[in-house]
Amino acid sequence: MEQRGRIVAENLVKVYNGQVRAVDGVSFEVNAGEVFGFLGPNGAGKTTTVSMLSAGLRPTSGRAVIDGLEVSQNPEEVKRRIGVIFQESTADGDLTGLENLEVAAGCYGISASEARSRARTLIEQMQLGDAADRYAKTYSGGMRRRLELAVGLVHRPRVIFLDEPTLGLDPQGRAGFWGFIQKLRKDIGMTVFVTTHYLDEADEMCDRIAIIDHGKIVATGSPNDLKDGLGGDVVTLKTHAGASEITTILQALPGVHAIQHSNDSYRAKVQSGETFVPLAVEAATRAGVGITGVTVKRPSLDEVFLEFTGREFREEEGPNATDRAVMMQRVRGQLQGRR
Amino acid sequence: MLREFVALTRREYLKLARNPQAIFTSLLLPLLYLLLFGNGFTINAASFVNPEYGPFFTLQEALDFLFRGAPNYYSYFAGGMVGFVAVTASLFLGANVIFDKLFGIFKRTRGTPAPSAAVFGSRLIAGATQPILLSFFVLALALLFGHIPGLHGLDVTATVTPFGLVEVLLAIVLLSGLFATLFLTFGILLDVPQTYFAAVNLINLPVLLTSDALYPWGTMPTWLQNVSQYNPVSLAVNVLREVMFGSSAYPYSPGIYLLGLLGWTVGLVSIAIVLVRRALRPLE
Repeated sequence: MEQRGRIVAENLVKVYNGQVRAVDGVSFEVNAGEVFGFLGPNGAGKTTTVSMLSAGLRPTSGRAVIDGLEVSQNPEEVKRRIGVIFQESTADGDLTGLENLEVAAGCYGISASEARSRARTLIEQMQLGDAADRYAKTYSGGMRRRLELAVGLVHRPRVIFLDEPTLGLDPQGRAGFWGFIQKLRKDIGMTVFVTTHYLDEADEMCDRIAIIDHGKIVATGSPNDLKDGLGGDVVTLKTHAGASEITTILQALPGVHAIQHSNDSYRAKVQSGETFVPLAVEAATRAGVGITGVTVKRPSLDEVFLEFTGREFREEEGPNATDRAVMMQRVRGQLQGRR
Repeated sequence: MLREFVALTRREYLKLARNPQAIFTSLLLPLLYLLLFGNGFTINAASFVNPEYGPFFTLQEALDFLFRGAPNYYSYFAGGMVGFVAVTASLFLGANVIFDKLFGIFKRTRGTPAPSAAVFGSRLIAGATQPILLSFFVLALALLFGHIPGLHGLDVTATVTPFGLVEVLLAIVLLSGLFATLFLTFGILLDVPQTYFAAVNLINLPVLLTSDALYPWGTMPTWLQNVSQYNPVSLAVNVLREVMFGSSAYPYSPGIYLLGLLGWTVGLVSIAIVLVRRALRPLE
């Protein structure tokens, strides 16, 4: 198989300080030229996985292969072949946009004249031409992300890793950034590995996605395949508190694939929501159970996440997830502290 | 390797040039020391001279004992200030690395294949420039003060040869390089500003206070003189003072002190190379 631009992760494990199992046996393959989304809530292990793939962190076990090279054996060469856009801004605020690019190019051993030429071209491509000679600290959030992207591309990598690239951007900034990514993919055919917790972005932009939760991959596939795998629409029925259980009754209705019951609500995966709802309301009423609310959802990646993890994705963005993310940042920080 | 080094060194100089406040502040400290400390703290060697009973029978004897041949305390102190400045101006090198880590800039560099030697070397070369230039600024200022009525100033009493100037240059470069290496290594090994400044203070003050940079040699207790003669700051300052005031009060020539200083620098750089290579290895 063509190895150029390909990413392979085989049973990657990362344990911090012998205690925190941040990544727990992650395996997947990304084909050359694909846009691969790596989804999961904060603290799920996305950044740690990217660090292991991009030669920043040694796996506790398992192996990663990028562009045909085993990462742990050839970290320097892998760094030459990949670009990484980090979650946080890494642009040097005291340098102009052009200078940031020239310094980055120099770090890849590119000559000064070639660095200048590439910097000028890239900054124009990223529509930062007017701000090329301004200090990066004067850039807006969207401009900084575009500058980061340009920095990650200055050495013409075969694979680019984007770690939460649109975090903190407004919808317009996010759309603009993805426009650049799509153009790059079309023009250069580079492999794009992106971590995000914006499910709508992943749904729209990625060829395939993997969902990671608590360090483990729980689903892999194209967004459409994963959504289709849910078997149609998802209908949620709410009943009065303490009402009799009607799982069996609902299960017997035509077009029903599965019913999940929790507290006073039923989550039904059905062929068609429009057909199911009147039948379900009628069947429940016959059984003496009043329906107090109905929602019908077309399948989305939120539903896919719920299906594979048993939890709403947005719940995972709550305080517990924040705590876990902060803890992960701390252990990563402690590790860096020993460097 | 060379291109990576040049690109990163250029970055350091650009950042230095774009921070005029830091340059101004770094000039202010030696200026204040030269004006206030140097002019306020004077010892009159003549008061120790008694041609009949001693302890010194001639002024030269007193000067040799107290200030190792310098014509007055201010001249002696001006040489010491060069060592003082080389140490204190190097402190910020490591702090800059820590702040680059906090702002993510260091992470970007680490994400590239730039070798650790280029990452460290660029910061060392660009960073050591500041203490080297400041050292010459101190010497020039002290000489200038000697021509301003009412102020003490540096009075060079020996004939300074081109070879002597080279020795002074070498002493300043080696001392600046030594402390720049030390503090830069701290910056690369540590991540938290508070820890860095605590570690730096733990080194900075004992090094300066066990040297003869500021104390008149003759007033130091013997044990401190014994410690001081191995201190790298003293070794560099001895070179400067011998070149400027003559060798009559020194047991060794400037070349010997330079060799001692070179030994310190080579030793510390060797340790730094091991630690920095380990800290900046590609995979953690």
